[in-house]
Amino acid sequence: MTTTAIPTGEKRATATTPKRRPRRQREGAAWVFLSPWVLGASVLTLLPMAVSLYLSFTDYNLFDPPHWVGLRNYTQMFTEDPRYWRSVWTTLTYVVIAVPLQLALALVVALALKSMKRGKGFYRSAFYAPSLLGASMSIALVWRAVFNDGGTVDNLFGTGGWVNKPGWALLAVALLTVWQFGAPMVIFLAGLQQIPAELYEAAAVDGAGRWRQFVSVTVPMLSPVLFFNLVLQTIQAFQVFTPAFAVSAGKGGPADSTLVYTMYLYDRGFVASHMGYASAMAWVLLLVIGVVTAVLFRTSRSWVFYASEGER
Amino acid sequence: MPGHRTKGFCASAVALALCVLAAGCGGSGESVGGGKVVLRYTWWGNPDRAERTEQAVALFEKQHPNISVRTSFSGYDAYKQKLAVQATGGDAPDVMQLDYRQIDQYASGGVLLDLAKQKTVLRTSEIDSGLLATGRVDGTQYAIPQGRGTETVVYDVKTWKDSGVPLPKQGWTWDDWADTMRALKKKTGQPGATDPGQNEDAFEVWLRGQGKALYTKSGELGFTADDLTKWWTFTDQLRREKAVSPAEQTTQLDGSVENTPLGRGKATADNNWDAPSSGYLAIIPTGIALSPMPSGSDGTPGQYFKPSMFLGVSAHTGHAKEAAQLVDFLLNDEAAAKILGATRGIPVNESLREQTAPLLKDFDKTVADYQASLEGKLKDPPQAPPSGDNALQTTFQRDYDQVSYGRMSPRAAAENYVTEAKAELRS
Repeated sequence: MTTTAIPTGEKRATATTPKRRPRRQREGAAWVFLSPWVLGASVLTLLPMAVSLYLSFTDYNLFDPPHWVGLRNYTQMFTEDPRYWRSVWTTLTYVVIAVPLQLALALVVALALKSMKRGKGFYRSAFYAPSLLGASMSIALVWRAVFNDGGTVDNLFGTGGWVNKPGWALLAVALLTVWQFGAPMVIFLAGLQQIPAELYEAAAVDGAGRWRQFVSVTVPMLSPVLFFNLVLQTIQAFQVFTPAFAVSAGKGGPADSTLVYTMYLYDRGFVASHMGYASAMAWVLLLVIGVVTAVLFRTSRSWVFYASEGER
Repeated sequence: MPGHRTKGFCASAVALALCVLAAGCGGSGESVGGGKVVLRYTWWGNPDRAERTEQAVALFEKQHPNISVRTSFSGYDAYKQKLAVQATGGDAPDVMQLDYRQIDQYASGGVLLDLAKQKTVLRTSEIDSGLLATGRVDGTQYAIPQGRGTETVVYDVKTWKDSGVPLPKQGWTWDDWADTMRALKKKTGQPGATDPGQNEDAFEVWLRGQGKALYTKSGELGFTADDLTKWWTFTDQLRREKAVSPAEQTTQLDGSVENTPLGRGKATADNNWDAPSSGYLAIIPTGIALSPMPSGSDGTPGQYFKPSMFLGVSAHTGHAKEAAQLVDFLLNDEAAAKILGATRGIPVNESLREQTAPLLKDFDKTVADYQASLEGKLKDPPQAPPSGDNALQTTFQRDYDQVSYGRMSPRAAAENYVTEAKAELRS
């Protein structure tokens, strides 16, 4: 800090008595600073999205130029492709298993951490660690080995290889997601620490036990955070790919039991080279996620409590 | 403070720029590395093939000090997917190994270079013209076969002999095969072989044994749902009797020998291609042997000599000449042929084949002898499969998974497959 160059008098003058520059000039600076994001969003997100929307109405196969086929991809998907519906069902099952389990675990751990007197920082980091490894393929491969026949779980509990049993493979995938509960946990923890201690004291004075305090103070006060986590994790769960891909060794098996939506999308696009069809699938997924999120927002009115509401 | 912030900003900006640069360099396969021409060469195969290929490539680099070759390999399933992504992104490796199934699609998609343009460095005169023609699409030579292979029943010699079940003989039928699998199950207490139901190649052998084919000349489906129902009923029955591998084992097949029931020590035999079966030697040191695939009930053989692997050059390579030199070296160089042996099948260069035949040893000799025993007995290979076949291979496995896990009847799954296949071939 001592090495900081001493500003010249002139500069200091502008710094102390800032003359408001014309609006356009200020906006220009804003755009300069925004440019990395704007560039990224338009070139890497919006443009590909527009192209994929166009491709979804074509028979593009990666090798030949695309031909316009109208709604054929969409009608084929909804009326002629049983495997498509199986992947929809698999994905819904996955969302319903993974999201509540993950959120419950994250909340329980956050509650435990909150009441911890010593070593909170250490445990918080330790529980967060799996989430840092989350996207990595290697972890998913280890997971496959752990749940394969002759793997750790098989050896300990004699369950056989879950990844080779159609009824269990999806659960192994879901458990991988559940295990990575770090992000919602940290958010829960932050939310818990925001709850004023007076509320608990007042509740205790009124004779409320721990459970009563949890139900009547913690849950309502935490509901915005809970809602936030629910929306975020649901959106993510609909798009699950890496764990399903790695745990099923890229096949979505056994017997299509881990062929989640994005896996089937990948299969249509990159294995069967039906990019048009895959693009159409991607757009349907986007719409469905949009609708599900909207529905969640709708229901939130009846169960999410914002502290500011109390002042109304 | 302001000075600090600026420094920090610059540092992170530079770091970002470096990241972008590094990513850029990582992606391109262009000439870097001390002024040398850098070629990328990829293939699929087992570690044995990898080791020998690396040796041959090292020799090539020694002979051509201005060229450096970056290699990579993986199992077939993963290779197929990765190559498709690279090819469509215009980032195909300079030299790539291709399967019969991929030629049509890649050639018509503009991924492959017309090799005739490089004939000054790439000699094809010593390759049988019929074999060479398999790498042509619409009269243009897009790829060159590296060898020919045929399917086989590969088995663990010691376990089989110890069981007392008679060894397989040339000319055995599918019924003989089924009975043998049952006998092996009885004597060894574990399945005789991999369940062949999921294997499109095995199904093709079975079909051809009845004089039928996977595809018609015009590239349509060459069989009916009834045919497939028969095949799947046959394999499903054997699986229920535990004469072939259970669904939990079969579903783990990924194109590598390590993940077959035989490779895991859970069966006595496997249906595979002859050359890749060398991978079993590392797992079963007591020895393996190759016997012919079963034939139809009237003795019609279903298996055929298939151009096993092709070499192609990317249409977008910046170094067409050097890439062609590498292809030429792998096909026509005497020293390379000695190193590579029969790891991709018997050499296609006829004078090299004669020269190296007496030098072949170990498993290479086994493969050569096996192929010699079938010489003149097999029917002509089918034409190159239509491009949809690439995806149908996976669909075939998936639909049979439904059968082997008992979720669908052979009839229902077969009808499913035929519907899917017709749609795939239409598009």
